[in-house]
Amino acid sequence: MERIPCTGCSLLCDDILIGTDGLFVDKIYGACLKGKERFDQVSSKNRLTSPMIRKSGNLENVSWDNALEKVKEILNASSKPLLYGFSTSNCEAQAKGIQLAKKINGFIDSNSVICLGKALNIAKETGITLTTLAEIINKTDLIVLWGSNAAESIPRLLNKILFSRGKFRMTGREIKTIIIIDPVKTASFGVMQLRDLALNIHTGKDLDLIRVLKEECCKEGSFPKEGVAGIDEEELKRLFLNLMGAENGVIFIGQGLLRPLPEVNVIKELFELVNLINLKQNKGRISVGLLGGHYNMFGFDQISLSLTGKNHSLQFSNNELVNTEDTIITKIEKDDFDCSIIVGTDPISHFPYSLSKKLASKPLIVIDNRKSATSDMAEIVLPSAITGIECEGLVYRFDHVPIELKKILNPPSGVLTDEEILNQIIQKIG
Amino acid sequence: MKMVLNTVRMIDHDQAREYTFGDSQSLKENLGIGYINPNDFEKLGLVKSLRVQLSNNYGQVIIKQEQKENVPEGIIIMPVSIWSNQVTGVENGEIIFKNIEVEVEATRDPVPDYKDLISKIKQD
Repeated sequence: MERIPCTGCSLLCDDILIGTDGLFVDKIYGACLKGKERFDQVSSKNRLTSPMIRKSGNLENVSWDNALEKVKEILNASSKPLLYGFSTSNCEAQAKGIQLAKKINGFIDSNSVICLGKALNIAKETGITLTTLAEIINKTDLIVLWGSNAAESIPRLLNKILFSRGKFRMTGREIKTIIIIDPVKTASFGVMQLRDLALNIHTGKDLDLIRVLKEECCKEGSFPKEGVAGIDEEELKRLFLNLMGAENGVIFIGQGLLRPLPEVNVIKELFELVNLINLKQNKGRISVGLLGGHYNMFGFDQISLSLTGKNHSLQFSNNELVNTEDTIITKIEKDDFDCSIIVGTDPISHFPYSLSKKLASKPLIVIDNRKSATSDMAEIVLPSAITGIECEGLVYRFDHVPIELKKILNPPSGVLTDEEILNQIIQKIG
Repeated sequence: MKMVLNTVRMIDHDQAREYTFGDSQSLKENLGIGYINPNDFEKLGLVKSLRVQLSNNYGQVIIKQEQKENVPEGIIIMPVSIWSNQVTGVENGEIIFKNIEVEVEATRDPVPDYKDLISKIKQD
């Protein structure tokens, strides 16, 4: 048995025990459903194991040489290539992706730009009090889930932080309070006890609640008698008391809090609220946790920042980084691209139809280990190893702590890692 | 009837899992689905065998419906997928995954197959 980090989600649990016969992972202990599925991917029926090129409408198996030659052909004919994905690749592959983008004068972005990576940009204006998983496990007495259904998106998070007995707190669940703010009574509500607070906020009204709390920070007794956004005055008071009285509180924010900018900047106002609370209360502090889903979403922000000084949306021209306000979304929306390389993600499934059809209308090169709607639309499919099982590498956990992944199996014959594939493309185009 | 669509990640309706382990039928079964409050189920005049059609400025899609007590009235919850993305869109350069106004009505028409949706992208 071997202890390894799990890449099922951005929690990267490091207490998973696995046994292997050298070909498959046949024993898995401690993983959640998402983690177990990650290991089962090794032998899944929809695993991609051969390079493919679309011929007469159908994808056909070809050799790596043929596939890379076709990639070269597409990239040589391109003046505006896009690269997107990378949040299920290791940091080494992400760095290689940026190197390729620079070489072909492309635009590169990661999934973080449509997810909680936005919060990092907003934090440039307001500052952000981040915390780490170890701090939360050992010290926290208040957990707020705001627009995040952790029980389903990061299944073992609550086990680790709510039911744990912290090193600096000799008591566990009994002294911890959880507050969930969500329009839907999600699976996460199942952990609540009497002292906890369930706030079924009206959908899309988070900003109203934040502003009322900010006002109360500045002038006590300003809660409206009729409540706000479906939350009554009594609940508002309890919420505020908990936030002000926490010794070590953490607010986890999820996708539910993201809204299109610039009209309403919910995240910015939430960070301002956290700053106000921390200024006002002298007992402890409130921190923020960003609950992204993919296991290395924040890795791209880290790597991109250290290599280029910008955390995402990199446009290269004449092999140099140039200023741009564009993101992957605006590039596709404006049709400002002529081919794309998609790494380990499925934009055809999760982008709106208006973007999917534009993305699919230009040559699409997919690097992935499993079939997806995007691979079904691709011109070229390059099969990759499963990071964290078939290849090692550095990744960043949701709390921005670096974790080293292990290789426990060899990938199927003829399957390369993301880093090797991107490197081969760089070599091929010369 | 006007409702608000929230697209979410659900552990039992996960697109990555369906693409990895499933097939086009299980994709449709598990992702072409929406959850509504039983009171909305009544208001829409639904019975279990009927589907719902969602439409807005971005597009339209037909999905299977199920009742769930914990979904608030006026809201429809759908897993993020190639079905939900027919009615999501872009505003100010950002994708709208939540709080999307949709017109919802009961229909006897079938849920489109995965292949239909893929062909539609190719044809357009």
